[in-house]
Amino acid sequence: MRILHKVIDSMYGLIGKNKFLSKFKPVLVATDEFFFGTDKVTNLPHIVDYMDIKRFMALVVVALIPVTIASVYFWGLRVLAIIAVSYAFGGMVEVAFAAIRKKEIHEGFLVTGLIFPLILPPTTPLWVVAVGVVFGVLFGKEVFGGTARNIFNPAIVGRIFLSIAFPKIMSSEWRVPLTDAITSATPLVLFKNQGIITSYTDMLFGFNSGCIGETFRIGIIAGGIFLILLKIVDWRIPFAFLTTAAAFPWISNHLFHTNFAPPLFQLLSGGLLFGAFFMATDPVTSPFTRSGKWIAGILLGFLTVLIRALSGYVEGVMFSILLVDTFTPLIDTLVLGARYKKKTK
Amino acid sequence: MFKAFRTFKGGFRFKNYAGQALPILIESRIPSRVIIPLRQGFGTEVKPLVKVGDAVFAGQIIARDDATISSPIHSSINGVVEDIKRMNYFKREINMVVIRASNLSAEVPRLTGHSHEWWKLSNEQIEELIYLSGAGSLDREGIPTHFKSSIISPEDVKHLIIHGVGSEPYNISLDLLLEGKNFLHFFEGVKILKRIMPKAKVHLAINAHKRKIIEQLVKLSTELDWLDIYPLEPKYPQGYDEMLVPTILGQKFPYGYSAANIGAVVLNIQAVLGVYNAVVEGMPLVERIIALCGPNIKENIHVRVRVGTPLSEFITERLKTEESARVVLNSLLTGFTLNEFSLPIDRTFSQIIAISENKQRKFLAFMRPGSKRDSYTRAFLSKWIPGAPKISDTNKHGDERPCISCGFCEEVCPVRIIPHLLSKYVTRNIIDEALTNYNIFYCIECGLCNFTCPSKISLMQHIKEGQDKLTMEGCDRGQCILPYFDLKGIEEYRGVTKL
Repeated sequence: MRILHKVIDSMYGLIGKNKFLSKFKPVLVATDEFFFGTDKVTNLPHIVDYMDIKRFMALVVVALIPVTIASVYFWGLRVLAIIAVSYAFGGMVEVAFAAIRKKEIHEGFLVTGLIFPLILPPTTPLWVVAVGVVFGVLFGKEVFGGTARNIFNPAIVGRIFLSIAFPKIMSSEWRVPLTDAITSATPLVLFKNQGIITSYTDMLFGFNSGCIGETFRIGIIAGGIFLILLKIVDWRIPFAFLTTAAAFPWISNHLFHTNFAPPLFQLLSGGLLFGAFFMATDPVTSPFTRSGKWIAGILLGFLTVLIRALSGYVEGVMFSILLVDTFTPLIDTLVLGARYKKKTK
Repeated sequence: MFKAFRTFKGGFRFKNYAGQALPILIESRIPSRVIIPLRQGFGTEVKPLVKVGDAVFAGQIIARDDATISSPIHSSINGVVEDIKRMNYFKREINMVVIRASNLSAEVPRLTGHSHEWWKLSNEQIEELIYLSGAGSLDREGIPTHFKSSIISPEDVKHLIIHGVGSEPYNISLDLLLEGKNFLHFFEGVKILKRIMPKAKVHLAINAHKRKIIEQLVKLSTELDWLDIYPLEPKYPQGYDEMLVPTILGQKFPYGYSAANIGAVVLNIQAVLGVYNAVVEGMPLVERIIALCGPNIKENIHVRVRVGTPLSEFITERLKTEESARVVLNSLLTGFTLNEFSLPIDRTFSQIIAISENKQRKFLAFMRPGSKRDSYTRAFLSKWIPGAPKISDTNKHGDERPCISCGFCEEVCPVRIIPHLLSKYVTRNIIDEALTNYNIFYCIECGLCNFTCPSKISLMQHIKEGQDKLTMEGCDRGQCILPYFDLKGIEEYRGVTKL
């Protein structure tokens, strides 16, 4: 700890002297604060909550740890390389923008940098990971003005960019867990093409093909419930999302059972659980009003099921999250308009 | 009658803060010199009746003005007037009478006309006793009498709310205030108040966790149909008038105006005891019971102090010396910081809280389990250990970040406004009708939004700034509040606890 303190102090000295390096002062300040906390004191009220954004984001990362460990087990150590590339290249974009804007690096990137690799297929080449994360952070977040001003979830933006730019890499080659064998079918593809329903227990524990972090579903559920219990994540969006994604196919499966998969299959396949607990709940891009959260959750459920059943794509979670993110300001405005009706005298 | 438990939406329960004042009372010594502010509690500043060099006795009225809404001010010791000067007292320039003690006797001459058989006194006599004792100026609106001690007259009072909820992180001990005989005195005080406010229904709101007190009250009040007893959760800011009126009466509150405007008077336990002391004992209001709370005070106890005693007389020796402390008056959320220990105490003091001025940086502070840390979220160990004592200090515990719309401020807001939305409008300088439409003037400045914000944004200050800017543009509180209420007095008054 003392050594670290000395290193940071000497870095401050170095940065103070060198003109070029002084641009990177925000990075150093952020590192300093990360390790040693703050010495600022309150004004009014005299006491404040111990919760801060660092812990907020760190807890989301903690909730993702079981999923990350499981994915290393299923897909091998390559996963760690993908995560490292994601953090490194995404971090570079952040640092560049922090230096230009002369603002500190914000902790939100800790989460984006981990979520992004978890929604990629395990076979993704490392250079594609780098391209995706750079695009996602740049066009998903920084062009809008940085943390808390973004309209879209940066990880989703990067993922969608990749699946449109490199469709072959992103959706045709899947690995069978625990082996090196390549298959072309995920449970969703199997259902769409042949009407096969994969075993639910296999899907729950992750013994089927899919994106890196989306298959170990029991871990995702545990992580999501952990966050809800700690009040870090609001329960309304995942609850509304998952209920709609189960209730809507429950009706439509009776009518068109070749298109609409049964409810439990909908819940346990693809990235639905991961999306519902970790991506749709991003406070910045989801509505902040309570009724807005319900509306967004229900919309997400409908859109996901519709895209899965009726479009050319097999998976609809990321498109529906992106779509609903676009509607977020509108939903909030409508809800606020209804709640605070113009007062007539 | 005993009423069912009720509460309000939002708010936050400050639980188990380390350093609560124990129910022990210590008499402080008579000070050798007192500084008496000529504006104490509710009311305007009053003119001094004494000159420099005059000899005064304890309990003598040294300032009084029957023409304005005010109450008399007494000398609290026997002595000689040394000086009358203007001083800065809680951001207001007011006159102070400095008295040097000549005789340190603790005796206080009683008011004439007081009686142990108070029911034999006429209403006028009771009101005069309350007024002359100075008890009429207690609490945010004062106690209504015919002597202009409050903005409404006693006949207009429809509801009298007496509360001992204790919703702050640190509170004066209810067990101490209502100990032994005091409990009966308190009940007599309630009856006296009912006598002078004949049309009022009396509502007693007590901390729901104080079962014994509630049981005793219920026993005493079974035959009284004008008295209701409400157990309330001590959730901050339940003790505010703005929360008590809607919770108890189910009425909307005219935010920013006095509860007296809608015919309600809100008093606390000390004020009722003051009424008893005035009418039955004839005791002028020359002393206060003050709770000394917080981890930076050596012994967390209560002291009985003469009004006008400089803080240094009884605080300095009781502060821990190891670390620098911040001393706060009455509330950790909204109270003044007491920097000048030469300033005197007045009738409005009830708690003095000392917490450490923590500028220390901690290694990986955000990763610690936090078994003593308080938070709105359940992300710290302390929330999962029942009864874990919480520490309080002035560190910000994090750096300021942009708002991520987590919604904590909205969930915790007791008046149902959306602080982060208003703050965004104000910081981007969009000052228009939208702000009034989003009820910016409902803000009661309880400080909870600042408390919970994980991004450490000064939401309350932004809201206040927005209110000021709107008022500058000619759109003030009145336009948003008044059309919806039939207010009588329309005189704005915020107690000394507010900035």
